[in-house]
This record gives sequence, C-alpha cells and structure tokens, in this order.
Amino acid sequence: MASVYIPVQNSEEEVRVSLDQLPRDANDILDILKAEQAPLDLWLIIAREYFKQGKHEQFRQILEEGSGPEIDEYYGDVKYERIAILNALAAYYTYLGKIETKQSKKDEHFANATHCYNRATRIDRLEPSTWIGKGQLHVAKGDFSQAQSLFKIPLDENSNNIPSLLGQGCVEFNLGENEINRDKKHQHYITSLNHYKKVLQIYPACPGSVRLGIGLCLYRLGRFEKARYAFKRVLQLDPENIEAFVALGIMDLQTSDADGIRKGMEYMENAFEIYPYCTMALNYLANHFFFTGQHFLVEQLTETALAMGNHSLVKSHSYYNLARSYHSKGDFDKAGRYYMASVNEISKPQEFILPYYGLAQVQLKLGDLRRSLSNFEKVLEFYPENSDSLKAVGHIYEQLGNTAKSLETIRKATKNNTKDAQAFLELGDMLLNTDAGSALDTLKTASNLFKKAGEVLPIELVNNIGVLHFERGEFEMAAKAFKEALGEGIWISIIEGSLRMDSNTSISHYRDMKPFRQLEEVGDSVELPWQKVTTLFNYARLLEQLHDTEKATVLYRLIMFKYPNYTNAHLRLAAIAKSRNNIKLSFDLIADCLKVNDKCPDALSMLGNLELKNDDWIKAKETLRAARDVTEGKDSYATLSLGNWNCFAAFRSERRDSKLEATHLEKAKELFTKVLVLRSGNLYAANGAGVVLAEKGLYDVSKDIFTQVQEAASGNIFVQMPDVWINLANVYFSQGQFTLAVKMYQNCLRRFYYNTDTQVLLYLARTYYEAEQWQDCKKTLLRAIHLAPSNYTLRFDAGVAMQKFSASTLQKSKRTAQEVRATVAELKNAVRIFSHLSAVTGYQSYGFDEKKINTHVGYCKHLLDASKAHCEAAEREEHQNRQKQEVQRQITLAEEARRKAEEQRKFQLERRKQEDERKQVMQQDQHFQRIKEQWKSNNASGSKRKDRLLAEDEDGGYGERKKRKGGGKRKRKDKKNKAYSELEEDAYDDHDVENDRNILHNLDDEGAAADAQDHLLAAGLEDSDVEDTAPTSLVNRRRQAWSESDDDDHNPSRKEYDRENSTERPGSGDEE
Amino acid sequence: MKLTGLKSTENAHDDSIWAVTWIPETENRPALLLTGSLDETVRLWKPEGGDLIPANDPITGHCLGVVSVAAHPSGAIAASASLDSFVRVFDVDSNATVATLEAPPSEVWGMQFHPKGTILAVAGGGSGSIKLWDTSTWQLIDTLTVPRPEVPRPGDKNGSGKFVLSVAWSPDGRRLACGAMDGTIAIFDVAYAKFLHHLEGHFMPVRSLMYSPFEPRVLFSACDDTNVHMYDAEGKTLLGSMSGHENFVLSVDASPDGAAIVTCSSDRTVRLWDLKMRASVQTMKTHTDQVWGVAFRPLGGTALRTVLLASVSDDKSISLYDYS
Repeated sequence: MASVYIPVQNSEEEVRVSLDQLPRDANDILDILKAEQAPLDLWLIIAREYFKQGKHEQFRQILEEGSGPEIDEYYGDVKYERIAILNALAAYYTYLGKIETKQSKKDEHFANATHCYNRATRIDRLEPSTWIGKGQLHVAKGDFSQAQSLFKIPLDENSNNIPSLLGQGCVEFNLGENEINRDKKHQHYITSLNHYKKVLQIYPACPGSVRLGIGLCLYRLGRFEKARYAFKRVLQLDPENIEAFVALGIMDLQTSDADGIRKGMEYMENAFEIYPYCTMALNYLANHFFFTGQHFLVEQLTETALAMGNHSLVKSHSYYNLARSYHSKGDFDKAGRYYMASVNEISKPQEFILPYYGLAQVQLKLGDLRRSLSNFEKVLEFYPENSDSLKAVGHIYEQLGNTAKSLETIRKATKNNTKDAQAFLELGDMLLNTDAGSALDTLKTASNLFKKAGEVLPIELVNNIGVLHFERGEFEMAAKAFKEALGEGIWISIIEGSLRMDSNTSISHYRDMKPFRQLEEVGDSVELPWQKVTTLFNYARLLEQLHDTEKATVLYRLIMFKYPNYTNAHLRLAAIAKSRNNIKLSFDLIADCLKVNDKCPDALSMLGNLELKNDDWIKAKETLRAARDVTEGKDSYATLSLGNWNCFAAFRSERRDSKLEATHLEKAKELFTKVLVLRSGNLYAANGAGVVLAEKGLYDVSKDIFTQVQEAASGNIFVQMPDVWINLANVYFSQGQFTLAVKMYQNCLRRFYYNTDTQVLLYLARTYYEAEQWQDCKKTLLRAIHLAPSNYTLRFDAGVAMQKFSASTLQKSKRTAQEVRATVAELKNAVRIFSHLSAVTGYQSYGFDEKKINTHVGYCKHLLDASKAHCEAAEREEHQNRQKQEVQRQITLAEEARRKAEEQRKFQLERRKQEDERKQVMQQDQHFQRIKEQWKSNNASGSKRKDRLLAEDEDGGYGERKKRKGGGKRKRKDKKNKAYSELEEDAYDDHDVENDRNILHNLDDEGAAADAQDHLLAAGLEDSDVEDTAPTSLVNRRRQAWSESDDDDHNPSRKEYDRENSTERPGSGDEE
Repeated sequence: MKLTGLKSTENAHDDSIWAVTWIPETENRPALLLTGSLDETVRLWKPEGGDLIPANDPITGHCLGVVSVAAHPSGAIAASASLDSFVRVFDVDSNATVATLEAPPSEVWGMQFHPKGTILAVAGGGSGSIKLWDTSTWQLIDTLTVPRPEVPRPGDKNGSGKFVLSVAWSPDGRRLACGAMDGTIAIFDVAYAKFLHHLEGHFMPVRSLMYSPFEPRVLFSACDDTNVHMYDAEGKTLLGSMSGHENFVLSVDASPDGAAIVTCSSDRTVRLWDLKMRASVQTMKTHTDQVWGVAFRPLGGTALRTVLLASVSDDKSISLYDYS
C-alpha cells in the first residue's frame, strides 16, 4: 500500500500518511502539511490522491491552500511546484467548466482556470506545462485556433514536447470535425495523424490512448482497416479501453451484415461489462435492441445512458432511442415528448437530424400539421433530397389545401429519385383532378417502376390509369387497365360473354339474385374481393359507355349480389332501367337503395327525377328537398333540380299567371345562384341562370352565358349538354335570327341526338315557320311525326304549316299554275290531316279542341274552294303564257331566218368587194408598171421622189384596208382614187336596203308588242276578275283571324327553353 | 359470317329514304328492290353487279312521306303507305294501281303480306289495332285490337290505348306479332282472330319485328331502347337481349340462313349479329345519317347464290352488302 512520508520539521522523523487512508477531513492533512512546512510536491501528491478517490472537494481545498498567498511567501523560491499546483487547480477548473452545462457557471470555472494559469505564468513565463494547460483550457472552450497557437509555444522550445504534440493532434482533429470543406477536413485529419505518429515515434511506450487518437484519425480518413488495427492495438495495450471497444463496435456495426453486427454487439457488450455507464455503448446497445424489438431493454439502457451522460449529442441519441421505441409501440404522446427532448439536446441539427424526422412523423400522426411541416422542412434543409420527407411535406401541403406547393414538393421527390414508385403514385393521385394528362403519364411511370421492382401493383393505381383513359375516351386502353386490375375471376366469363344470365330474368328483374345463387349451388365460385369492387364498377361503366349494356348490368348485379350495400350499382341499374323507360323497375331499385341508406343523396335525387318523369310534381319537390337537406345544400345536384323544378313550374300552367311565374323564376334564380356561389364552375347552374334571364327577356346577357357554357362543355365526354345549344338557338330565335337558330338546332340534333329528338325538331320547324319557309317547316314536321308517330300535336302543326303555305301562296301576286296546283294538293292534305285528327279526337283524347280542328277543316276547305278559282285562273294564265310563248317562239324563229338570210347576203357582198379590190390592185399594179417604165426611160435620177411616191401609194393602200376592216360603214368621199366611187355607191345602196329592213323589223316588233299587250291586258283583267269574284276582303279578314289563332295554338309547347338539365348523374361516383 | 360492303347509291331519292323491301323474282325478271321516301316517291331498283339501276321512273302519287313498303310473296304486286294514311297497292311491272286502302281514322305504319300472300296486315297506329285486308277482294276482313294492360304502367299519362307501329307474320302464317309505341309486343292467333299474350321487356317504341325464317317461335324485335330482343313468342320468354347500338334500333331483318340478324339504327350504323354468340360481330358505317331500313334479298330458285342486303337512310342513299 502506497504511503507518503511527510518529513517533520527540524527533525529526521517523518509522518507516514497512508494514501488509501486519507482522512475524510482535508483540514487534518492540511494542518500537518502546514505545520511541518512539507515540500510542495507532497501537497500535490496528496491532492491528486484525493482526486483519484473522487474526493474532489478535498482535492480542491488542498490545492487552494497550496496556492494561497501564504505559500508564495513561505515557498517563494520553489518555482516549479508552485506552478504545478496552480496548473493542477487550473486543469481542475477547466474540467469543471467543460462538464458544466450552465453557461454562467461554465464561464466562472473557466475564469478561475484562466486566473490560475495567469498566476503560474507570472511565476515563470517559460514553463511549458502552463502553456499546454492554457491550450487545453482553450480546447475546452472550443477555441481551437487560440489553443493551437498556445500549444505551439512549448513546441518552439522543444519540438518533441509530447503533451504539446498531443494537444496539437487533438486540436487538428477537432478542426477537422468542424471543417465543412472536404479537402480541408481531410488535411486536418492528416496533420492530426502526423502529430500522434510523432508522439509514438518519440515515446513508443506511450499509453494506448495515443493509438486511440491515431485510430480515430484513420477512421475519419476512411482508412478503416488501419483504424481497426490501431484500435485493436489499443486493446492489446489496455484490454479495458472502452473507447476502443466502442470504436471497434461501431465499425463492425456499420458493415451492416449479420456477422458484423454480431461482432459489433460483442464489442459493445464488452465495453458495457467493463464500464456499464458508457453512454455510447449504451446507446448502441439500445439501438440494437430496438431493431430486435426488445423494447424493455431499450428503455433500461437508454435511461441509464441518460442518467450517466452529460454530452448533449449522446443524450440526444438516447432520447431518440427511447422515443423511437415508444413510436414503434404506437405511444405517440410519449414518443413525441422524447423526440422533443432529443431535439432540445441538439444545438446543430446537421449533427443528428433523425429526431426531427421522428418528431415530424409523430406530429403528422397526431394531426399537428403545421409543426410537423416545420420539422420536416428542417430535415429537408440539411437533406434536401430526402424523398420520404418530401413526400410527407407534399402530403401535409395537400392536407393544408395548398395544392400548388404540394405538387411542387412531390414533383421534386420524383425528380430526386426517378425510381421511387410510391412518389410517382402519389404525384399521379394528386394530379388526377387537375391535370389528367400528366396524371396518366405519372401513374404509368409508377406502374412501370413497380413492375421493374417486381412488386405487386396496387390495384388502385391500375384502376386510376383505367379511369384516366376512360375519361380521355380511350376505351380500349381503359378496358385493358381495368382487366389488369381485376385479374382472374368470375367477371372474366361475364365480360367475355361465356357466362350469360338466364335471359328471361335479365331484363325486368335486375333485382333477382337467383342466377348467382344457382351458380353457387352448382359449385362455381362467385367471389368478388372488396378491393376490386370499385374497378369492377368502373368496368361496368365502361361497358355502358360502349353500349354493351347487357354485360354491364350483369356486372352491376354481381356487385349487388356480393355487396348489397354498394348503392352505386343499384343507382346505375336504376339509371339503365330509366333510360329504357322501365320506370317501375327504376323505382324499385331506388327503393332498395334507400332501404340501405334512406339518406343517400344520389338515390333521393334520382327518385325526384323519376317522380318528375312520372309527372308527380309535389312528390318530386319534396324528394328533391329531402335530397338537398341531407347534404345540407352541399350537393349541387339536388339544388339544381329544385331550380329546374321551379323553372318548370313557372311555365307549366296553361293559363299563364304572371305573378306565379315571377315567383317561381325568382326562386329558380336564387337556387341557381346558390349553386354557382358554391361551385362557380357548375355549367348546369350557369345554364339555368341563363334560362331565367332569357325568360325575363335579357337575351344578350343570356346569350353570353349560353355561349360560354357551350364552350366549356365541349371537350369532356362526360359532359353532354345539348340543352345549352337549344337554349342558344332559342335565344337566336327570339331575336329573330332565324338562320342562326336553324343552324344551331341542326347542329344540336346531329351532335347529340342522332337527329332523333322530336322536341328539337319541333323547335326547328317553328323557326322555319316564323321564317316563312313553309316547305322546310313541313318536311321537318314530317320527320318528327315519323320519329314520334303517336304525337298528334305534330300532325296538327304539319296541317297548320300546309294551310299557311297555301294561304301565303294564294296571296302572292305572281305565281305559276304549278304553284297553285301544289297549293291545292297541300290544302287537300291539310284537310285530310285535320279531319283525321278530328276523328281520332272523337274517341281518344289528345288535348285538342275539336271545335278548333273543325274550324281549321272549314277554313282549309274554304281555301280549297277559293283556290279552285285561283287554279283555273292560273291555268288560264299559264295557257295564255304558253300561247304568248308560242308567238314569241315563232317571232324568234322568223327573226332567226331573216338574220341568216342577211348574213348570206353580206357574205356575198363581201366577196364581191374583195374581187373589186383585187381588180383595183391589179390596175394599180399595171399603172405602176407603166410609170416605172416611164421613169426608166426618163432617167433614174430622182430616187427620193420615187420613194415618196411609193410611200404615198402604200399609205393609201393601208388606209383603205383599215377602213374596210372597220366594217361596212359609209366611206368618205375624200378618196383620190376614182375607182372607189363605184363602190361607194354600192355601199349607199346597201345601207338603204338595211334601213328599210330595220323599219320593217320595227314594224314587226310593234305588232308583237301589241300582241303582248293584248295578252297582258287579258291577264290583268283576269287578275282583277279574281279579285272581284273571290270575297277577298272577307277571306283576308278571316285569314288574319285564323293566322292569329294559329300563332296561339300552333306548337303549344314551342317556346319552352329546355330545362331538363339532363344530368343523368350516373351514380356519380365512378372513382373512389 | 360477315358483310362485305358493295357500292352505295348516293342520292337515290331526293330526300330521306324511310322504307325498303325486296320484291321476289318472277319468271320474267329478277328480284327488285323497292324503296319509299320522304320525297313522296316510291322507286324500284334492279341490282346489277353490286350496283343499283333504276327499274322505272319514280312512282309518284303519295302525299307526305312514304313510311312503309311491302311486297307480295309472288312478286307481282307490292304495297306502299305514306303519312297521309293511304295504302296504295300496285302491279310491280306495270305500276297500275290495284287498290287504294284506307281505314280512317286508323293511320298506317308497318305492313307485311301473309307468307302465302292471302292477307295484308297493316299496323294501325293510334287505332290500337291491326287491319287485315284480303288480297283478292281488297276488303277489310278483320281488325285485331291490342288490349290495354290491366294495370296501367307508370308514366302512362292519358291512359290511351296502344299505338301500333309494327307487324310481323310467323313463317307459317298462323301468328301475327305486333309492336307498339309503349314497348309492348302482342301475339295474335290469326285463324281465331284472338289475342294470345304480351311479350314483356321493352318500354319504348318497337319499330320493327321479324320472325326467324327457320324457328317459327323465335321473334326478333327492334326497339328505341337501343336493344334487340329475341323472344320465344309462344313461351312468352325472353331468350336474349343484345345491346350495342347507341341509339334507336329502327329495323331488324333475319338472314335467310337463320344464323344471323341484321339491325340498323339512328346511330348511323348497320350491325350484324351472330345468333349463336348473341353478340354483334360487325358494324357497318356506310351511312351518314339515321338508317331506317334493312332487308335481305330472299333466296330465289335460280342463280341467286349470293345473299344481298340493302339498307336505306336519311342520307338519301341505298347501300348494298354481300352477306356470307
């Protein structure tokens, strides 16, 4: 047992102090030391011993006393020991400051340390250990550059100063830890490594911890094998070195293979056994047990670690482990609290980000979206590409209603990791409602990624791809997707048509489940997994769209059989039944649906719709109100239907009550506006509002509305709004723009109704009627009759159109016999139609006033009588015209003959002329020859003159020819050449003859004109005759009267704006 | 089985063509096609190498549109009817009027001659009855009235009787089927002039009916509800319902071999249905507007190996197809 001997002053004796039996009270020892004026090194030894035994207070007391002013006095010449004591005290304060968490106390300790070192320096400036101590103080303060310069001072004295080298190594290592720049970081570690290596060279027997430093540097430099070697060497030298165990453990754990983890855990366990309070080891053990699911151990270990550790980062790790354990157990409250504690320990989030992530997760789970968001964003601040956080943030933004941000975030996630199928799936889902095109592409990418990864495709994903194709009208692709999502099952045989329902029950007994039961009895499996119902429903919708209604109904019935609560199937079947006019079945199906859920708004809306179709007005209103109430007015459809109801009601009564009409319209407007406030993009509400405005006569405004709705409605296969076309056409009609109205009606018919809607045909006919295009009107009505044979109103209208046509033809001042004959035929038809109607009305009620029809019959018959006279007149006129034409024809013939004769004569004349000319030319030629001969004889001197003469001659020739070309006009007498005179006279003669003939011709004309006048006169007389014979005035008056009545009763339903909003809402929910 | 489109005759009429039938061949001439149109004419056509050649001048005399035509099995006479409710019976070769029939206030819609040619059955529209005309005397011999259903259907507002649109004789001539506006199909025993029963399933106008040429009990119906039904007309059972058309099914005819039917629709298509598969096997889109009628050329004794099919449409054209 070690002891120290304190020499007794002025004697040879010594007091033996056993170091393991130091008195509890340091004063006892101090008294001895002071009394005996013991050498200062003994003070230090004893103090150190106290420290070793953990008796820090005594340690401090001795050193305080040992550095007090008295000591300076007594031991003034003992330099080194005084410095050593001061340095020891300073080192102690440094240590206190280092472990202290409170900043004020920390500063106090450091101040004390500084004070001590300064005193030591004052004793001897050159003492290296003081500088080293100061350096360590600065290391403790985290002021590494200052520390570096302080360590350097002793090194300048002696480059082999081991403590300085160690200090420098430490400083460089820490600088490396703090450095952000990779290269510089590397440089620091290398420098640090070199310092430690130097220490080893100088002092090969140094303690193992130097090699620990080497190991850490190597580890940081990524030279793991060498690091491992260094740590192992540490353990050889110091088999209980915990840091080495932990370091080796970490390295093994990081290999992540089973073997490594097992070895790593062994190291950690060693460390734990040697020193059960090593927080690092505890944390790693806890971490391990977290993954093995031994949560009890996790809690124990981390709690110990927390109790022991003071290092905040390690504490944070411990809290994190604890939190994670609770998190995985589902105790979110506790988990949240511990994550929070963990986060609170962290000063620099980049050192340990995981608790932030965990905290964010827990907060998300607990619904604290804002805080969760900020924590995820903290994670993203340091790991901007972390796709899990990005997805989470995207999700939160979506929940917070910030779609744009949400999209942006998820999109980033897909960009960062182009292989993250989940992210693509989420992005696709998010895009579904906003950008169908991109949604489809994204979902397809997700699907490919899932396939590549060999994972099972989520059925929703494939379903949504199908729906998107469906919406784009790509039915084949949609069918492919749905089939892929559905896989094998009984539905395949239905879709392929190999399984047919017992046909006799398939139509009228949609509610009969017997066929499926029979299948089950036979032993066929009739299975339908719940997660496939939506897709199957969608597939049935697709079949409906493809008009394969039969198969669709079987699929719906299968859904109904397996899941009687899946009301959408009922609703679709009801809709199919309704479209096939099987009202009773439709009612029954809706009733089934309401049995499942008597507050199902879709079922109620549809019921209301059916009741309207059944003319059950009051009931319908109540049902629609109920539908609106169960959705608290949120469901636009019910509100819209009520609006429509009011619109209908406004014009329903035969006798128009303007007050009632206004009330209903006002109410309708209010309801439409309500819907528009809720959903500004609701086309049907806009259309309804347009109708109300149009009814009030605000055509221009309503036209604008209709045009916009029409534009908006085009381009989506699920939005079919023929109504708005009709309404637009009706407005054109009301404004008298008949051509435009006709075009619009025709387009509407063609585009939406395959030309089969008789109501629109009726609108079209009415437009023709107003535009007085009687034949078009009649043809249109005939088409309508052909399509709706039992609609006798159409026949009546056709009769009126024919009557009107006849009347207007007869009123025309000019018409041909053909026209009049057509009129007569038309009148006969009209009479037939009216008589027929009159007879039919006799035994069946079609809502006609028999008297009125009889009036029409009477009038038509009257017109018919009148038209006989017209007809005769027209025929006579035609006869006369024919005669006239005959005369005219003969005249023309005669004239033609005359013209031909003249031409002949002219031709001969011409020929004669030409012959004369030829003679003349010959004469001139002879004359010229003669002159030439004369010239020849007269000497050839005047060549110029000769030229001129020639030219003159030629001039004359040309001039003449020109005139001849001009035609047989009178020739002037200024010709020099006598030879012309003869010709001219001829010409005169010619002309005279011509004149005579002209006169003759004129006379003929006059004769003809007189003739014609006779005809005209005759015709005129006939005209007046007609006027006289027919009781014109009376007829006209009556005609007018009838016309008016026509306008009233013709097309009783004509000016109805089509209000059926036709939102045949197909059970509406086809994607879920 | 398939249809091969031959030539289409554009502007065969001046306006919509509403009715079509084949007049069987006689000793003197091959089978002719008879069409009736909104342009108030009836025209005869001779098929030659996939082309149609007018057999004579357009036959005028009808007022308002021609809604139906029918051919006597002998091929000698034919009947045409228009919206003015007159039926004109005429000699095919001479175009001489044989008789003009009317039974006011009954209108005229579908018509068909008895397979033996003894009776002409005429659907009487709003009169709720079928008028039977003796083809030798041209006297009205009977009126078969479709009874009202005992329980009025919902939506049946004024409770009016049946509005009869279409008629079809069974191949043995003993039964007469008649289709009405409200979708009911009534079966009559002709010999006893007795109503037998209704066939259920349609709730919209049944515009055309046709018995299978080989199975005397099987009846096909074309309805506005876009479906074609196949009934056992004796057993009152619905054998099958075939969907596929997008709009009204306007007319149906059975192929002479009994294996297929052809329908036409407002959706501008002509569809071929395989009866074994009970599925549409082909869709022809030669027309650009509603197709009002389809008719198979009856198998003649001589030289008529190919089965011709004709369809007529609102687009004024006639299309011919080869059925094989």
